[in-house]
Amino acid sequence: MEMKSEDELVEEVLNGNHRSFELLLQPYRQGLLNMANRMTGNLEEAKEVCQEVLIKVYKHLDKFKKGRSFKSWIYRITVNSAYDSLRKKKKYENFVESQKKIGFSASYDPEKQLLNREIRAKIETCLRDLSPKEKATFLLRDGEGFSIEEASEILKCSSMSVRTHLSRARKKIREQFEKINFANTREVRR
Amino acid sequence: MNCRKVQSLLPLMAGSEIPKSKILSLKAHFENCPKCQQEYDSYMLTLKKTKEWLAKDRIDWEERDWQQVLKRAIKDKKPEVSPLVYWPFKKVWAYSLLGMLVVALTLLFIIGPSITQKEMGLGSEKFTEEQAQLFRSSPEESEQEVVSMTIVSKETGLKIVWFLNKNFELEVKE
Ligand SMILES: [Zn+2]
Repeated sequence: MEMKSEDELVEEVLNGNHRSFELLLQPYRQGLLNMANRMTGNLEEAKEVCQEVLIKVYKHLDKFKKGRSFKSWIYRITVNSAYDSLRKKKKYENFVESQKKIGFSASYDPEKQLLNREIRAKIETCLRDLSPKEKATFLLRDGEGFSIEEASEILKCSSMSVRTHLSRARKKIREQFEKINFANTREVRR
Repeated sequence: MNCRKVQSLLPLMAGSEIPKSKILSLKAHFENCPKCQQEYDSYMLTLKKTKEWLAKDRIDWEERDWQQVLKRAIKDKKPEVSPLVYWPFKKVWAYSLLGMLVVALTLLFIIGPSITQKEMGLGSEKFTEEQAQLFRSSPEESEQEVVSMTIVSKETGLKIVWFLNKNFELEVKE
């Protein structure tokens, strides 16, 4: 089967082809969920954010400028929706605590869940002191692998600002990482 | 470069987001400064580990959930195709053009009738003595069932004849 370009798929969706909408989003379904999950710190909230994103994408698809990166556009909508979600629920300061109370969603594979629980806790600890902007910058660059320029397009700020936020984020993460490492070495010695 | 400056660059150096020329002078600094070297190693380890964790803990949708989310997005609203999709210039121009058109039409609607009235000589000051005579009733006329009234435009010669009944209501002539 011939691979269609994203611009072609966009055109088809605008002409009412629903199947093309799925094809258009397929490559990003995982990335969007992970981005939203890390931003909100809660899987159920992340799914709501993604629902919001898809509604916005479908509704405003005619505003997408052809020839531009669809990936950047859709991540931009995701980051903004995650910001909205954080603002609306004012959960940001307490998200680590709320995560603990809610526990992990049933959609995780239970075996993998056990293995990953420790890792997830570590990630949450590392990200706990980051501002939403720092977090978004770090996740785009180090989680999703966007370049500085792409991140600046997504976040609608200068590449200078991306560097500043990324630098601050990594500094804060390192501080937490050192604490985790220190605790681990003490654990081992005991 | 002093240690302070070096340390401010370490977080970005760990992700190779600074120019190569700077990396060389930073590495030169490390030769004589084990403390900065150690800091750099710590940043490198943190970045490596966090990237690893993020990759390991990547989740995906359950197919059923994903299909539901897609379905809801499509159900919510048809994509709005702007009427200006094929407009080749900036959309702002199209909207301002439309706005100007509306203003022009409004002005024409307000000023328009007075202009045409004047052109037809229907302005009150344009009646001649002869025309004005028509408005004055004479004794014979009171007997009449129907009164006709003629207005002639001085400029265009346009002639309008009105037929009015006893109560000065406009009569429609078959
Ligand atoms: Zn130094």
